[in-house]
Amino acid sequence: MELNPMQVALNTVRTLRLELMQLIIEIGEGVKDDGSQTESKDNRYMYSMNEMVGKLGLHMRDLEQVVGSLSSPPGAMLLYNTSFLTQESTSDRQALYTPLVSSHKWLDKVHKFSSNAVQILSQNSLKKSYYNSSSNKKKRQQSSLHNISPQAVDVLLTNIDRMFPEMSITITRPCASNVVLLVGLSRVLQAIISFKGVMIEWVIVKGFNEPINPNSLQQELWQESRYYVFRKITDHANAAMLHFSSPTLPDLSVRSFMTWLNSYLILFNSVCKSCGNRLLNAYPPTWRDLRSLDTYHYECKP
Amino acid sequence: MGVTIIQQFPMKENRTGAQIIEFLTKRVNALGAKQCGTFLVDCETYASIPQLGAQRTLHVFHNSEQPASVFAILDNGTGKTVPVVADALFDLLLLKMSSVYTSKKSKVEIRGPRFELNDFVIKIGAININHNVKGIIVEAEYRPCVVFGLCWDMLREFLQGFLGSCVSNIPPHYFQNRMNDIFQPLDTIQQYLDHITIYRKATGILQQYNTNTT
Repeated sequence: MELNPMQVALNTVRTLRLELMQLIIEIGEGVKDDGSQTESKDNRYMYSMNEMVGKLGLHMRDLEQVVGSLSSPPGAMLLYNTSFLTQESTSDRQALYTPLVSSHKWLDKVHKFSSNAVQILSQNSLKKSYYNSSSNKKKRQQSSLHNISPQAVDVLLTNIDRMFPEMSITITRPCASNVVLLVGLSRVLQAIISFKGVMIEWVIVKGFNEPINPNSLQQELWQESRYYVFRKITDHANAAMLHFSSPTLPDLSVRSFMTWLNSYLILFNSVCKSCGNRLLNAYPPTWRDLRSLDTYHYECKP
Repeated sequence: MGVTIIQQFPMKENRTGAQIIEFLTKRVNALGAKQCGTFLVDCETYASIPQLGAQRTLHVFHNSEQPASVFAILDNGTGKTVPVVADALFDLLLLKMSSVYTSKKSKVEIRGPRFELNDFVIKIGAININHNVKGIIVEAEYRPCVVFGLCWDMLREFLQGFLGSCVSNIPPHYFQNRMNDIFQPLDTIQQYLDHITIYRKATGILQQYNTNTT
């Protein structure tokens, strides 16, 4: 059985420590008086000491060999959010790290299983939604959803910011490393988007002239718009967020959602594709087709 | 404060102002709007005394939508205007200036019911010049939008929906150079001034309506 070199090295260290301990115990006990000839007693003691020291030297060489074959660890390990556990002050929660790691392991397993399941299910032609993704993309190594470096999220979001000239994106991190995004869309609307890793968790849409305090976006997330039209769009945005959400391609889902949101640039001066009017029940066309981004009234949507 | 458009509604020969307001109220109610109180916009005009040189006219407005503000527009007669938005204390200041700016004693009041329909605010008011009804003015505001150019087509469709063909397809003259500016309360007042000026100039014609109707 091929053992991990790290495991072998640890075992060698353990044996070495054991032998050294025995040697020290022997020395501590001194020459034992067992009733035999006095001159051979010293000799025997010397002999056993010699043997032990020899063994120690042998194991020391073993250890040096094993350690030489070890590769150096790949830089510092990033703990991301789990590093905040050290700030926990209650004593019964300080042991949380181990169960957390094991639960993450399970999550990774579930993730692997589910992406396998998606691959198998996608071969099935019975498709009920128009969810579609090419298979070569899926073979790419997926990063875990729950532990993504803040830099990677920043890069994704700044790329999206560059995609849409009319959209201004402000990244804030009011709670640990999770992003709360303030999006301004020209002079039409503002949106607050809360992320968990790269998954969108919640969206609130407000009017351009509604005051939003950028320093307390967490509180603003719970306050809905004072205008009916933006409350309706908030509902649509959450529905769209769930529609675009895809655990296997998280960055694509964020990009699709932002493209969809960008289509509200013409909220007030667009005509419903279905009825040809601008207003229905005193609402402009608030619904956007998820694929073609066509404008519809909610009541007219196909 | 959203984009506001002011539209005049033609007086009918055999109807009083109150009757027209009632007629329009029925239409607005049919759309599903609910009445939320009343509104009042008043305008007082002052003229500078001749010793000051070229005559300047000062229009002072109050709007029940912005109860703490006083709007003043100074017209120096050459087409150039200076607008001022001030606190209610401005009224007291005007009393002190009565030796320089004298009141023309022609108070204009626009009052009537105020309706809300989702994000729209509709106001239907009779324009009173010296307590004579001169015409009907309809104000429509779309609160979520702040740029006129973005929602003019929608507001036009909305107004045409209950006022009919009297709403022009061309944007009001006042907005021609302000299509992409952020809308301010002063823009509403400027529109009121434009309409009041038209009614004052056309007094003769409208007087005929009133002698027939009131």
